[in-house]
Amino acid sequence: MDEVVIREHQGLCDRVYSLFSIVGKLRPDISEEETEGILKLLPPDTYRALRSMLRQDLLPATFAFMRMLQAWMEEAFRARQEGKKVILVPFNFPPELIHAFEGAFPLTSEVLSTLGVVVLEGQGERYWDYAMGLGLPDHMCSSNTIELGSVLTGKDFSPDAIVSSAPGSCDVNSSIHEFVSHLLGVPHFMLEKPGDSDRRGRELFGRHYLSLVRRLEEFVGEELKEENLRKVAEKCNECTDLYYDLWELRSRVPTPVPAISSLYTYATRFTMWGRDEGVECLRACVELARSNLERGYFPAGEVEVARPLWIYLPYFFDFLGFFDWMESRHIANMGDVLMCCFPQRIDTTSRESILEGMAEAAWNMPMTRQMGGDMMSRRWLDDVVYAVKGLNADCTIYCGHHSCKQTWSVFSQVRREITRLAGVPTLCLQGDSWIRRMTPMAVIQEEISAFVDNVMRGRAKRRGGKRPRRARSAGSAETPPAVDDPASAGEAAGEEEAR
Amino acid sequence: MLDLKKLASELPNRYVTEARERGTKIIGYACLATPREVFDAGGFFPYRIRGMSVTRTELADAWLSRFNCGFCRSCLQLALEGAYDFFDGLVETNGCDHLRGMFENWQYAHPREFFHYIRVPHLTNRDSMDWFVEELELLKSALEEHFEVEISDAALLSAMEMQREIAGKLRRVYESRWGEEMRLSGGEILALMTLEGSVPAAEFSRLLDEVEAEYPSRPPLQYRARLLLGGSATDEIDLITELESVGGAVVADSFCFGGRIFREEEPPEGSPLEQLAHRYLYNLMCPRMFDDYARRKAFIDSLIERSRPDGVVLFHNKFCDLHGVENVKLRMDLEKQGIPVLTLEKEYGAAADVGRLKTRVQAFLERLGK
Repeated sequence: MDEVVIREHQGLCDRVYSLFSIVGKLRPDISEEETEGILKLLPPDTYRALRSMLRQDLLPATFAFMRMLQAWMEEAFRARQEGKKVILVPFNFPPELIHAFEGAFPLTSEVLSTLGVVVLEGQGERYWDYAMGLGLPDHMCSSNTIELGSVLTGKDFSPDAIVSSAPGSCDVNSSIHEFVSHLLGVPHFMLEKPGDSDRRGRELFGRHYLSLVRRLEEFVGEELKEENLRKVAEKCNECTDLYYDLWELRSRVPTPVPAISSLYTYATRFTMWGRDEGVECLRACVELARSNLERGYFPAGEVEVARPLWIYLPYFFDFLGFFDWMESRHIANMGDVLMCCFPQRIDTTSRESILEGMAEAAWNMPMTRQMGGDMMSRRWLDDVVYAVKGLNADCTIYCGHHSCKQTWSVFSQVRREITRLAGVPTLCLQGDSWIRRMTPMAVIQEEISAFVDNVMRGRAKRRGGKRPRRARSAGSAETPPAVDDPASAGEAAGEEEAR
Repeated sequence: MLDLKKLASELPNRYVTEARERGTKIIGYACLATPREVFDAGGFFPYRIRGMSVTRTELADAWLSRFNCGFCRSCLQLALEGAYDFFDGLVETNGCDHLRGMFENWQYAHPREFFHYIRVPHLTNRDSMDWFVEELELLKSALEEHFEVEISDAALLSAMEMQREIAGKLRRVYESRWGEEMRLSGGEILALMTLEGSVPAAEFSRLLDEVEAEYPSRPPLQYRARLLLGGSATDEIDLITELESVGGAVVADSFCFGGRIFREEEPPEGSPLEQLAHRYLYNLMCPRMFDDYARRKAFIDSLIERSRPDGVVLFHNKFCDLHGVENVKLRMDLEKQGIPVLTLEKEYGAAADVGRLKTRVQAFLERLGK
């Protein structure tokens, strides 16, 4: 095997940026014929992702998504040239706070890793291998270690500072970001989720958040202006409304929402939430779904054999083999827990109310919400049961990303309770969501097929082919359980079962 | 001659049996962040949960996964087998993600009537300190309410004084390896340190007196090289003994069942709980504390300066992310200082792993020129 040498400007971020600047030149009304022609020029890894994304029925949403990401990356590179601070954040830190600064811009480590896995030939493996070569253990999380491995080569775009919001919800995420800041010698700002999901913990978290704001202001050398905060918060509210529109559309049976929309939704959340480009991306997803509904087009077909909710992560290393494959087999992917951030509208009255709203968003980011707090199993289960019922899912799948030690540690309990409280079965897989070496897609497909054939079809037969539909409230989705609400969806569901 | 290793390998040990006969309530805890003085002050016997190098974890594996650390799976296995049924209560701390899962599964599958969670901050700022004081107040109240006892300030101060006395004696025994002549091996010291968590305070103090008294009559040990060990939760006394059998004498360690027990800083004035909060949070030499690497590095540097090892061996249990990453940083920094370092990933308690580890340590000793 030839040795892979990482040269200057061949880091993940640089390579992804150069690819996106090409992809961004494609016309949104590109025909299937032209698309196929272009895709044939691409190497196999890149082909499998773009073939899926450039499907004719997805084009409006895909192009809005790609424009958003292109703008995100261009602005990051331009920010560096303009002397602004580029701040690396993890996916569970809401980027809108950084967007409110004039002198700073956020880049998200897990999104960069995912983009690398999606569009680069060789995916992210060389950067992962580089990190392993430094001695980091192979049970680290590929979601951030891929991008951070690239940063550590010294041949890639590197941040001016790092924010870490995983203390309290994920040791491995916290450790790797701290490690990189230590090696690069850049400032490291931490936002801890206290191990208490009640009011007391929320109050402390609010104080931590405001302290972080002050420290970032000092670092960037700029006091956050109320007008900038308000502008971003108003856009956040637009994103929030569109998020719930999409949630409601996804819950329809059959669903008009393409599976890949879930990825577009949370990629927006982690990058350009609070920006025009984020609003446009979500709006395109909603409009596409509505248009599908109006014309009676359902990506997984009119008769869905299964509607799985992925209770933690999906797989990112083969879009064609994942999203498209499921839809071609009438398996309607209901999305995954990365969608479960349940945003709330921000009160834009004052600087204080806006920052309070942003702190609330940070408290509810995926993983922070489920894995931070007093009981991982309970908080995770509450959201899963809520999402299963709200989206009319009829089964759940746990991807088994090896590095998620917290979810793995309570999965057995949660699986039992999902059956008890939501009445649906759970498939357990094992794999690495970003690296195909651990479990190839063919194996994952085989496991899913066996589950659908042996479990889901049998259940459908016993129901006489009818799928029970849960009542939908008029208008947008019901409010998800507050993290400190003792009468959670899970307990309420238990009472409902008992009745 | 006291057989410390034998004493440390008993579960339950005679102190547990005697405590049960007296009607003393025994509370299980796992993490070094748990201030045992609060239990001592209430007349409880705080007992630190260990994995005891258990390797068959089939019950635990039905709850925790094989991606969770072996130490936690071993602890849970013992719990599910009933080995820890002598606990009258459990106190959880959020030491790490694996430990949190262990406790959640324990309480789900084999619950204790009294179960309390101390939420230890991951950072050492003013807000975190205030929070931790409150957490200790909540712990105290929970114990008082459930067990109908009183934990007074006077009792806390007395317990703190007892622990200071114990720390002084333990430190003398621990540091006895720092002279040219060693009469207690690393395995024996680790056994003694694990007993710190499984013997009531007053009796442990007496045990230390015995150890100190018989120390001069112990034969000096032969060794090729002096080693400092560090890394993940390790109560594997037999493993350390096996590694020492190739000639490397363990003169110090930064294990959480070992050298991390010693708390260097003198707390500021304040109520007993404030003093305890400060003492524990600011001396938690564990990579679960973020933004605190400099303090841990200084702790290791101080150990190196005083114990004069020829090399450092850093372990991490498979799937232990915190130590897996920390060890890389430490290796890089120590090597820059010219200190030879060996990093080893291992499976907790696995007898099959010992041969491989011994070979690696043997090779390391040769690299050291010893």
